[in-house]
Amino acid sequence: MSFQHRIRTIYVKELIDILRDRRTLIAMIVVPIVLYPLLMLGSVQVVSLQSQDLQTEVVTLVTTNKQQMNIIKQWLQVDGQIAKWLRGRVGSSLGNGEAQEAQEDTPFEARVIFGEENDLTEDQIRHAIQSREAQLGVVLSVDNLNDHMTEQWRATLYADPEDIRGAVAARRFSRVLHRRDERLRLDRLDELGLSPAVVAPIVWRQERITTAGSILGLILPLILVLMTITGAIYPAIDLTAGERERGTLETLMVCPVAPIDLVVGKFMVVTTIAIMGAALNLGSVSATVYFGGFEAVIGGGSQDQFPLASLPLILLFLIPFAVLMSAIMMAVCCFARTFKEAQNYVTPVILAVLIPGGIAALPTTRLEGVMLVMPVGNMVLLTREMLVGGSVGFGNIAWVLLSTTLYAASAVAVAAKIFGSEAVVFSDSASLKNSLSRKLSRPTSRPTTSMAMLLASILFPIWFYVQSALQGAEDISAVFMGTAQLMPIFLVAVPAGLCWYFKINLRKTFALKTPALRFLAAASMVGIGGCVIVHEFSILQQRIMPIPEAILATDERLGAALAAMSPWMVLLVLAIVPAFCEELFFRGFLLGGLRGSLGKWTSIAVTALIFSAFHYFVYRLPVTAFLGVVLAFFCWQSRSIWPSVLIHVLHNGLTVGIGLWHDKIPWLHLSSSEVTAHYPLSVAIPGALLFVTGIWLAASGRRTET
Amino acid sequence: MSGKDRYNAAQTGMDMVVADNLVKVFPSPDGRGKRAVDGLSFRVGPGKIYGLLGPNGAGKTTTLRLMSGLMSPSSGRAILAGHDVSQEPQEVKQVIGFLTSNTGIYLRLSPRELLFYFARLHGLAEDKVASRVAYLIDWLDITDFADLRGGALSTGQKQKTSIARALVGDPPILIMDEPTLGLDVLSNRVILDFIKRERDEGKTIILSTHYLDEAETMCDVIGLLHDGKLVAEGTLEELRTFSGEQRLSNIFLKVIHADVPRLEKRP
Repeated sequence: MSFQHRIRTIYVKELIDILRDRRTLIAMIVVPIVLYPLLMLGSVQVVSLQSQDLQTEVVTLVTTNKQQMNIIKQWLQVDGQIAKWLRGRVGSSLGNGEAQEAQEDTPFEARVIFGEENDLTEDQIRHAIQSREAQLGVVLSVDNLNDHMTEQWRATLYADPEDIRGAVAARRFSRVLHRRDERLRLDRLDELGLSPAVVAPIVWRQERITTAGSILGLILPLILVLMTITGAIYPAIDLTAGERERGTLETLMVCPVAPIDLVVGKFMVVTTIAIMGAALNLGSVSATVYFGGFEAVIGGGSQDQFPLASLPLILLFLIPFAVLMSAIMMAVCCFARTFKEAQNYVTPVILAVLIPGGIAALPTTRLEGVMLVMPVGNMVLLTREMLVGGSVGFGNIAWVLLSTTLYAASAVAVAAKIFGSEAVVFSDSASLKNSLSRKLSRPTSRPTTSMAMLLASILFPIWFYVQSALQGAEDISAVFMGTAQLMPIFLVAVPAGLCWYFKINLRKTFALKTPALRFLAAASMVGIGGCVIVHEFSILQQRIMPIPEAILATDERLGAALAAMSPWMVLLVLAIVPAFCEELFFRGFLLGGLRGSLGKWTSIAVTALIFSAFHYFVYRLPVTAFLGVVLAFFCWQSRSIWPSVLIHVLHNGLTVGIGLWHDKIPWLHLSSSEVTAHYPLSVAIPGALLFVTGIWLAASGRRTET
Repeated sequence: MSGKDRYNAAQTGMDMVVADNLVKVFPSPDGRGKRAVDGLSFRVGPGKIYGLLGPNGAGKTTTLRLMSGLMSPSSGRAILAGHDVSQEPQEVKQVIGFLTSNTGIYLRLSPRELLFYFARLHGLAEDKVASRVAYLIDWLDITDFADLRGGALSTGQKQKTSIARALVGDPPILIMDEPTLGLDVLSNRVILDFIKRERDEGKTIILSTHYLDEAETMCDVIGLLHDGKLVAEGTLEELRTFSGEQRLSNIFLKVIHADVPRLEKRP
């Protein structure tokens, strides 16, 4: 039976099984279809109830004495102790301030209390506010009373900003004062025969521009992400811990099907359910907003259309995310023996996921820098940018999808590893602890696929963060030096430490054996000839997917910094250190781990993709991936790291050298203004021949070790 | 290998099941490891029922899990129908039917759907799947409840479904770990009848149990397992001669008594 057939069999069965479960249906269909309209209606009700509350809200205003009370009442233009206040247009008559203010305010009533016998002191007023006897205190004083050109009132307002009624009352009273102030000012100017422009050299107004996505764009991505996760939880638990609890796992494991097939089949079901859940949620939210007439409410008062057109695209982008979350949930649930235990494991995972999700949901967070590769966070941001209708760059989309896919692949690898392990099939909680204990680890020759993928996934955002932090350095040479110093730690010391801890053979993992001479010869040819190939490859790519000017400018800045460094230092920092570190990690640790469960070309391809992703540069992705394939191929053929180290040193060294000092090598015919020009045929043809011969030599080389 | 080839292999008289110095060490907190199976060797030919007998914790279940490829041995080999469990676990799983009292069935699938699923997992060609399932449903009297959900079945019906599931790939070897544990008399009867029938059809059967009378009536060869080691092995007659006792329970106690100091150490 073919792989696809097995996976399909497992997929169909698990899907039927899970869809027959009432709990799935409730979580997936009933909740989104019923919940959102209810929630939305409910919140609208609450809002309107609250504004009704405000209409009948009575604010108590305290002032010093009866005279002041009368003045205030006069200003508020009301009779009696109850002031119906602040109806009608509020805002500057000159037009300054937010245009938003030109709306009618909710009516608001005030009861004014004052010192009947003696004047109230400032302390007494404060106390009245603190004890909530009153919400607003007003103390007035006046200079030049009754001289209508120089009369000047001073008002001090007392309110607790934490008390919503006090805060609103203070704001509204300020507006009354503001309005009165302006009216009087205009009167005085008029009397003096002056234009209002004398005191208002600048008149401004602020227009609020909202898009339909604004508020929706902040909330909906988080809801979607949460709902995708929620959708994955139940099937993930049911298909792993549930299967174990019901005793069918053992039944399944005695079938002639590899654990990876089972995990992939199950995981596809979890993903399907998660995506279906996300789609239903997205549909339900959109329908509620669209048909429920809440667009205005949610869109912040704007009448713009809800961005219906983005929805299918958002759903499409949610797929890798659903894949990631399903894989994580499955990996976590695989540890659990029972349904309940799995639920306990899932809770902290959701919390952990909500942290980057929450950071991304902040209005100030943007899809850039480390957020591009932050798990979950990048998806929230991408969804938001799509909803708000801003244009999202191709590079950014690529980063989000690429990093999410890498994390998802690692999580699937880990889930497969855990699912097939004896510790999981035969519930023995001690086994799990034992598997992390150094004392009980048995010496092995290479890391497992899941360990390699897991470390790559963990290092991916960390290394990205390190690189971004270094980019911020003032001195550009510090970027290179810093990278060269940190590379051995992250790419060599960390995996080596892991190998030591789990008693994994370092020599075999990092493929440190001496290679046959033919591979070193072949590597020299490929390393030298490869420069020509890569150069032409870059030119071709520049035609299809040109590198933006801004990036080229940065490259030039870096080039200038390099030219100022000593040539030996440049070679050390850009050729030798990266060659050793990257080879040891990618072609050593990673390829060594992948080869355990993947075939030759899959291992090589995955290694190459991850290698190129670690360069965090979308525009060079194809070139680095191509190089990655060549390097991994050499390591696979020779079973040794040294030929690929040699290629890497030669390639980096020559590329940097030619880039920096091409004017000193006239026969290359590359002038500084056209580094992207073709090599002359006298260089290109021998280079290509050298490359092809090297590849052929390596391909025909027999692998000596079995 | 098709079912027919397997029987041909079986008819050539080679041992269908060979355990060769099997050892399984579980990690233990003291770091020395617990030897659950300790140098176990036995052979079973086609058309025979081999009974692994022993008290709880003797290593029966672990042995059967090693034989079926659910666990990998720390050392030693298990070879089933010519396939080494460690080297070719998937091939081994092709030639065995595995049944325990714990092997559950899917509660939201009907027996028919469950059998279709496992038939496909066993790699049966799509045109053979339906006929094989129909045959098993008829043969094991499942027809009445073949289309009910698993959750609605009685214990006996579930057990029949499990048997059908174990047989769906028409395996030449059956491995059964205490298949009658916790069953009532009726369900028990279903299992025992089925085992005999399979034996008569030429299948190789390994059975673990601690019901000694069951072993007495069923097994062609009996291996007595104690502390992960085979302490005695033979037909019932051979064991009687060897120990001088008639009843299997007495034989068992006598054999173990030869090892009194170790017995006392046990908690």
